[in-house]
Amino acid sequence: MNKILDSFNLKKQADQLGVSVWRSPGFLFILLGVVIIAAMLAVYFVSRNSDSVEYLLGSEFALVIVLLVVGNSIINGINEIARANKIKTEFISIASHQLKTPLSEINWELELLSGKFADGLNEKQKELLKNVNVSNCKMIRLVNDLLDVARIDQGKLPLVSEEIDLIEMIKEVIENNKNLASSRNVKIKTRSYVQVPKIVGDRKRLLVVLDNLISNSIKYNSKKGRVDVAITPEKERVIICVKDNGVGIPKNQRKNIFSKFFRSDNVIKNQTEGTGLGLYIAKNIVLQSGGDMWFDSEEGEGSTFCFSLPLEENERYGLSD
Amino acid sequence: MTNKKILVVEDEVVLNKALQDFLGSEGFEVLVAFDGEDGVKKASKENPDLILLDIILPKKDGYQVIKEIKSKEKTKDIPIVLLTNLGSIDDVQKALELGATTYLVKADYKMEEVTVKIKEILGIN
Repeated sequence: MNKILDSFNLKKQADQLGVSVWRSPGFLFILLGVVIIAAMLAVYFVSRNSDSVEYLLGSEFALVIVLLVVGNSIINGINEIARANKIKTEFISIASHQLKTPLSEINWELELLSGKFADGLNEKQKELLKNVNVSNCKMIRLVNDLLDVARIDQGKLPLVSEEIDLIEMIKEVIENNKNLASSRNVKIKTRSYVQVPKIVGDRKRLLVVLDNLISNSIKYNSKKGRVDVAITPEKERVIICVKDNGVGIPKNQRKNIFSKFFRSDNVIKNQTEGTGLGLYIAKNIVLQSGGDMWFDSEEGEGSTFCFSLPLEENERYGLSD
Repeated sequence: MTNKKILVVEDEVVLNKALQDFLGSEGFEVLVAFDGEDGVKKASKENPDLILLDIILPKKDGYQVIKEIKSKEKTKDIPIVLLTNLGSIDDVQKALELGATTYLVKADYKMEEVTVKIKEILGIN
């Protein structure tokens, strides 16, 4: 039922295709329907008010012509949208691949220069090399994100299945964000049940999801803020929540939080860096893993982002012992 | 010195040279090939302990190279580590099914990490 309703959500359809509402396929089909009904009514009235066979044939003929013209232009319109969309995703994919070779070269040459061949470099030069390396890593991350978005849009984001220890994974992400947290004076706490069942998923991808939520909760926190990470196993799924007491998300922007390239006003005010791709990618990874992602936020009070992951049948809580 | 022989099959000259420098200074004997055909030839002639292999290569692509190396009695047991920037599991999956040991995404790894992986596979501490 939801699926049927969704196909009538013209705004969403248009947003996804990157066109205006009146050019979305759904709208065009409704238009086609209206034209057919109008034309048939016209033919009906003509046939009722006239006994002339010529009139009747003429109006039938006109109806066929109108339908062909309108139908054809609608099909052309949809084809054009589909083609533009395909070119767009292919462009991102090719551009990203071509970008990654020179980025890898810079990555490895810098490693040689600041490592094995660093003899004779003074401290200032080493510091400069380090900065260049940080910039290059940022660029690689951005290209990787764009590639992921292209894959998501093409429905080709590949996930592997492996056994994962959630607690260990969360510890790893917190450890990786330690410097960021201490530089902003943010304390991170983890709360979990003694026994959290093992889950199956793509470890590398889920690390990205956790890293995104946890680093966001640090970056957009208030000074001396707190971050609470809670893991709650339920009967058929496990829920991970990351809570901060930061700036929060303005009410009118909440519906866009998971849209690609979207960045909330509060975020831009506090942090100029960022692409608005992180949560879009994170949510899609979770959805594709069979879970869901949602959030709760109060402006000025903080936000809580949660996601769920399904438990394997034999690992379901209470049955694993 | 580990006196282990590594064959690097990579067509991008800068990347190939960087690996040569890095692995050489780690004590490996490094052989290089810049296309798939030469890679297969050197693999059976020199019998390396491990092969680092790019997927997109001139003359013969990485998949073809794996197939040929795995089909020869002499070379079929040499571990092959894919060096790729595709990062797409679909393509990597194909190579793993053909018999590659594992894969590394070039842009995401330092050569240091590549070396750790190599040593792990060769059983060197």
